[in-house]
Amino acid sequence: MFAYTLKRLVQMIPALLGIIVITFILSRVLPGDPAIMLAGEQAPEEIVNKIRQDMGLDKPLYIQFFAYIGQLLQGDIGYAYHTGHSVASDLTSRFPATIELTLASILIAVLIAIPVGIVAATRKESLLDHISRVFSLIGACVPIFWLGLMFIYIFYSILGWAPAPMGRISGDLNPPVHITGLYVLDSLLSADSAALKSSLAHLLLPAICLSTGTMAIIARMTRSSMLEVVDQDFVRTARAKGLRESAVIYKHALVNALIPTLTVLGLQFGFLMGGAVITETIFSWPGIGGYVTDSILAADYAPIQAFTLVSAVLYCGINLAVDLIYGFIDPRIRYE
Amino acid sequence: MKKVKLLSTLVAFSIMLAGCASSANPQTPAATSAGTDTAAATAAPVKKNLTVAYSEGGTTLDPAEANDLTSDTLVLAAYDQLVTYGIKTENGASIANTEDIKPMLAESWEVNADNTVYTFKLKSGVSFQSGNPVDAEAVAYSFERVAKSSSGSFLYGMASIKSVAVKDPSTVEVTLTNANHNFLQILAMYTFSIVDQKTVEAQGADYLKTNAAGSGPFKLTKWDPATEAVFTANDSYWQGAPSLGKVTLKFTKEASNRVLLLGKGDVDMAIEIPPKDVSTLESNSALTVASNASNRILFFAMNNKVKPFDNVKVRQAINYAIPYDQLLSGVMYGQAKQMKSAVASNTPGFTDAGYVYEYNLDKAKALLKEAGYEKGVDFDFTLGSGFDDWEDDAVLIQAELAKIGVNMKINKLARAQFLEQQKTNNLTSYISKWTSFVNDPGYHLGFLLYGKGSSNYINYQNAEVDKLWEQANLETDTAKRTELYKQAQEIITTEAPWAYLYEYNRIVGMSNKISGYAFYPDEVIRFYPLSITE
Repeated sequence: MFAYTLKRLVQMIPALLGIIVITFILSRVLPGDPAIMLAGEQAPEEIVNKIRQDMGLDKPLYIQFFAYIGQLLQGDIGYAYHTGHSVASDLTSRFPATIELTLASILIAVLIAIPVGIVAATRKESLLDHISRVFSLIGACVPIFWLGLMFIYIFYSILGWAPAPMGRISGDLNPPVHITGLYVLDSLLSADSAALKSSLAHLLLPAICLSTGTMAIIARMTRSSMLEVVDQDFVRTARAKGLRESAVIYKHALVNALIPTLTVLGLQFGFLMGGAVITETIFSWPGIGGYVTDSILAADYAPIQAFTLVSAVLYCGINLAVDLIYGFIDPRIRYE
Repeated sequence: MKKVKLLSTLVAFSIMLAGCASSANPQTPAATSAGTDTAAATAAPVKKNLTVAYSEGGTTLDPAEANDLTSDTLVLAAYDQLVTYGIKTENGASIANTEDIKPMLAESWEVNADNTVYTFKLKSGVSFQSGNPVDAEAVAYSFERVAKSSSGSFLYGMASIKSVAVKDPSTVEVTLTNANHNFLQILAMYTFSIVDQKTVEAQGADYLKTNAAGSGPFKLTKWDPATEAVFTANDSYWQGAPSLGKVTLKFTKEASNRVLLLGKGDVDMAIEIPPKDVSTLESNSALTVASNASNRILFFAMNNKVKPFDNVKVRQAINYAIPYDQLLSGVMYGQAKQMKSAVASNTPGFTDAGYVYEYNLDKAKALLKEAGYEKGVDFDFTLGSGFDDWEDDAVLIQAELAKIGVNMKINKLARAQFLEQQKTNNLTSYISKWTSFVNDPGYHLGFLLYGKGSSNYINYQNAEVDKLWEQANLETDTAKRTELYKQAQEIITTEAPWAYLYEYNRIVGMSNKISGYAFYPDEVIRFYPLSITE
């Protein structure tokens, strides 16, 4: 198992190298001159040229590339011109917000979708099954930005249940003591009830909004893999042994049906990181989403490259974790 | 099973922990109930706080580098300049008078006979927020920083500054390369804020990017471009303590959210309100909407070197084919004003002389025929992304042109790409906005329509306009200069290098309790004069 993990980690290196090269080339090949964006429209040519020199953009592409690799090897992921901060400090201040949002939406999706999927599979063609199908269809189709704006309009503007869509915690509260950067977790760890209440309230709507698509997919996935499993011999055997129906479903069938669900969940993580871009803008959530959009609009290369790289590392890590968890769920899967 | 038990115990434990801790958050009770606190009540009266919703978080706090609305706003809250603009009242609204230059950190100034040497006498006893005195050294240092900056240095050239000399601790002499009637107007801009030299030198060169070191009315306590910026009152401000205790800028990208926040009273003020939402806000009795004609203009630019626009008749035909009323009411919901000169109507020296273009397709068709395009013509139009109204405008214009046999092909480009393309001077036609930070026709035309103008991307060349502009630039008599600019405007309007679309309104929504708001052509809100009443 350890050897397998190590092997997988080593296999990540060429993938990451490929990503570094591709994002570097893509960000430069795409039209749009960062110096013009930075200088402002009224700045004359000399100033644009000066900024271009300061950014090193006047040098040939291969020199820029090696300079970038050199920087990376020293652990420096660059400087974000459009925020005036180093990319590393921008990412450390914003990534936890996105991670918190993504994890919360995965949690919500799993907690709702798996039970729904099981119910739909065990009561196939019942009314419940049809309702869950309709909801899954809606969940998969509704655009996040529309849903987010509706949520805000209904729950904040009309009903007044949700807090103002401004950030992760009320303006009159201090964020909890920084431990992990995840406000809900930090306020639990530091026993800060005021911060916990406020940060949960702020997290709820964007997390639900972001989770809808995943929820729909996981529910359908659980349903179909459950249906496949319940017809198999070992389930029949379990029933024949006289086990209670709940034990048959949850201990025998579900555990076997979870493998494809888990695979989809791992893939969904990447999708959620992308969906966070929209959700964060709508809810003024200070995560990485808005930052990356701004970087792209400003043609600010360093943050785009750094974000892609960090996401790639995260994505590889999540997929490795998913593969390792297979072994726990299904002991027949062994890693040599 | 064991795992589940462990997890549930953990969750239960943490909830218990959170529940029994009364509140570990130090800011909660103290900040919100400050009014009832006896200790606070016996001290100074509690000041009102202002929360404003902004769209962007800003990019730098360095006055010499700031060139976006939020950064400029942050700079003006924390810094003072040598001089500032006066205020006038027009139709009941307070508007900056950019021709009326008032003293700020400079108490007075003298100009030599040929208007090339300005000697500024600084106010005495003024100090920076750090306690260091505002002296001539700091002024010279601040000017030097502008000269060396990336963003602001062009203004240094635009102001014709040759050198800055310290005469004595409270006297600064600025020598110009030539007489320049815009000099004082440019000095009043955020770029020429006076920075605390001693603090900057002690803290290092990058300090000003994320910190403020000025003598202004507000002290910066927090700036996070992702969430908010917070200022507290500088109670020892030399013009008197601000009446606001705290100013918080909340960065809320989504325009509809800014409208909702304002409507619910979660913010006291919001900028960049979409025109379609103005009527909703106006119907809310707790709110006021200030909608002022700004000098931000929108025009349809036609490349004078490219067919068919190398023919003046075609350009005039386009001018007659634009559905101005539809653009103003349908796209801008009345929150804009028809543009009738290349210069905005609230810029001193504006004239609509020569403006004859009312929507008239027959006239447009006749002009096209005269130009030899009676069978119609195709042309390329480039649409830069990022502004919803541009797209609506383009589609409406396209539909009108189709009626007279002109086929306008719309190509969409991302903003960064659009700006890059525009700079090549090869785009056939496009829509673009422009705000002249210096509210002066010379500055405005010099960029956009003077033959050698750095933003004259449509290759407009007219020897007479160039001559008038050059003459005006050297003219020291205001009346004569204005006359020259008026003549230039008339020629430009007749030659129609652009079709004038509209002048945007600056829309600021605010609570009724706010007073002291004034509109400035740079669209930056000054917080110092604002106050909130019960």
